[in-house]
Amino acid sequence: MSIKRSSGFFDGYRGLLGLRLLALLPVTVAALLNTGYQYLTRLVSNPDSVGDDVRSRIARALGAGYADAGVYDWLVAGLAHMLPMLALALVIGGLWEWLIARGRGQPMARGFVLTALLFTLLLPGAAPFYHIVFGISFAVLLGSAIFGGDGRTFLSPALLGIAIVQVSFPNISGAHPLWEGLAGYAGSNAIALFHRGGEAALAGAGIDLGSAFIGSVAGSMGTTSVLAVVIGAAMLLVTRVIAWRLLLAQVIGLIVVATLCNLLGEGSGASAMPGYWHLLLGSFAFGAVFLACDPVASCCTNPGRWIQGFLIGALVVLIRVVNANHPDAVIPAMLLASILAPLIDHAVIASNIRQRAGRHV
Amino acid sequence: MLESLNLETRNVSRTALLGRDYRGVNFEVMYAEGDQVQAGAVLLRDVRRRDIRICAPRAGKIERIVRGPLRRLVAVQIEMDDDLGSVSHENPSNQDRGTLRRFLLETGVWSSLRTRPFDNIPHPDAEPGAIFITALDNAPMAPEPRPIIDACLDEFRAAIALLSAISAAPLYVCHAPGHALTFTESADIHCVPFSGGYSAGLPGTHIHALCPIGFDGGEVWHLGYQDVIALGHLLLHGAPWLQRVISLGGNAVTNPRSLLLPVGASIDEVLLGELSDSRSAILAGSPIYGRRLAASERFLGARQRQISALEGAAVDAGDAASSNAPLIPSEQLERVAPPGIYAVPLMRALQLGDVERARQLGALELDEEDLAPLSHACVSGSDYGSLLRRVLEQLEGAH
Repeated sequence: MSIKRSSGFFDGYRGLLGLRLLALLPVTVAALLNTGYQYLTRLVSNPDSVGDDVRSRIARALGAGYADAGVYDWLVAGLAHMLPMLALALVIGGLWEWLIARGRGQPMARGFVLTALLFTLLLPGAAPFYHIVFGISFAVLLGSAIFGGDGRTFLSPALLGIAIVQVSFPNISGAHPLWEGLAGYAGSNAIALFHRGGEAALAGAGIDLGSAFIGSVAGSMGTTSVLAVVIGAAMLLVTRVIAWRLLLAQVIGLIVVATLCNLLGEGSGASAMPGYWHLLLGSFAFGAVFLACDPVASCCTNPGRWIQGFLIGALVVLIRVVNANHPDAVIPAMLLASILAPLIDHAVIASNIRQRAGRHV
Repeated sequence: MLESLNLETRNVSRTALLGRDYRGVNFEVMYAEGDQVQAGAVLLRDVRRRDIRICAPRAGKIERIVRGPLRRLVAVQIEMDDDLGSVSHENPSNQDRGTLRRFLLETGVWSSLRTRPFDNIPHPDAEPGAIFITALDNAPMAPEPRPIIDACLDEFRAAIALLSAISAAPLYVCHAPGHALTFTESADIHCVPFSGGYSAGLPGTHIHALCPIGFDGGEVWHLGYQDVIALGHLLLHGAPWLQRVISLGGNAVTNPRSLLLPVGASIDEVLLGELSDSRSAILAGSPIYGRRLAASERFLGARQRQISALEGAAVDAGDAASSNAPLIPSEQLERVAPPGIYAVPLMRALQLGDVERARQLGALELDEEDLAPLSHACVSGSDYGSLLRRVLEQLEGAH
């Protein structure tokens, strides 16, 4: 029997889930605005590309005008794209959770809400609906339910879902304006641009440090705005939900290995890309905070966190440098590090036990 | 001796000895209901280790002997009558180790020593790796030990000198930073300051830092500062100290303060007229590690230093929804974990009842109070204190 303080909104398991959802709010707002902005600016430059798919029709019906588009138009166009995807992910994820809860005779877990939101934010605004059904089903079933549900898994379900989609449909692209500037599911081809032409190529595509930080560049919906990610990260750090060591170690790993590549590489391609571009481009920032720091799916010892974080940062840079065909590299790097996390913990704990055994009394 | 602190003294009519303070001991009660006892008279005797005695907290008439399941002693309740006086003791005739230990056993002071691992009363012939005096208290709303110790410095010194002579092991006085305590009597007495939050005031933390417990079956002993003062009182005045400083705190208490209360005083009587809300939760101990007590146990415990009354505190008795919730690791758990302990691996081992793993991860160094903050911070609703006790009981059986 233990005494708990009177339960507030952010107490207990449900509160923790609510907090993690709330930390995604800035990212979601930025995703809505930027998705609409990207959609409408592409239409301005190429009015013929206006599609006849559901999302474009909703955007038109809601009156998102692309001539002199303002915040309202961006928001509406963003909602028209993101809401159907999120709703579908929630319905499919919820359906699986409901079936499993029924089969096991347990109350329905709520973690699928977070999984669905994270998964949707990792998709480009033009992702086909059947990819969403496919990905979220994998995420909920293989990422969580098979291990016993929320908190008992060892991988972030959303990470697994997006990885499955990336692997299954690597070269997907289409006529929809939001595929433009993306290399399929790789998130952003900004890094591929750097591969080919360095910073000049980025400038040619209209990407500078400011726009990459605020997030007004093409990419997966939730991953473009580093600013929004920083706000969400601050919320999670202040409430001590995620481990600062793991987050810092990822950034250190990224910068250290990027600097090494700059010094030792041949001086062209992504090996010449400075650390700050690695931080700003692609989905590293989003993944580092919301996927890699998933408390359930990362190391739970402090030395382990330093090791895992450094590993993620280093792997992201190394894959980006050597593999021009998979320019983003964040998802496979985090998946690998997440799979290794229990092994790293095991080694750390074994050394702790050896130390303890060597004590005198 | 505490006059300089100007503490309010509260008198109550009933006092008791509680069985839960001496976990795992089978007692023979030396008196029957209706008998009259003097303060300090031997009231209980350990059935297996007959040298271990527990003395009456106050003089009076034995009102009720309450036994629980398996005839475990729950409480011996005494109707106080100070006119009966107290047993007086001769100081030990020499500083021989055996004489000193016999003195502690005969006066019942021995029973306030605790071992780590397992938190038992130590065996009379055992040798500890070290003795720890906890002279600080970081629990919220606990009485401040520093002025109490300073006001009873003579008693404190006399007791420390005796305790350092009962074994060859070093004696550590763990105190708050800035509290100048010096002992010149022996080279084996070390004063060590500890600063930090709640856990910095727990013996588990001090033991981890100064004399960590390995896997070879060694043990250390620890003792709270008020028990040390009680021993000193016995040495300097020849009679037991009949009072303790207890703080009254929590948001349901109209006037939170420290009180000078009879040893084992009835909590119900102490709280008369003190509460703003009669439905509040009464905890023996701090809000972090306090327990609710059954009516027959509503008396001050042997090592208790505070009473907390919390308004609107919900008792979480492990209802279906919360006990089903998973353990979600978070940075907060690391912050409140005892030092040197990997919180999440230990919590998982305790949840699974993996005794060997828990031992390897440091369970032997811990007690329920060390894990209380983890139970608060964890969203799973598990009570890691009682899970730890279950593991320790199995380890003790194998020891």
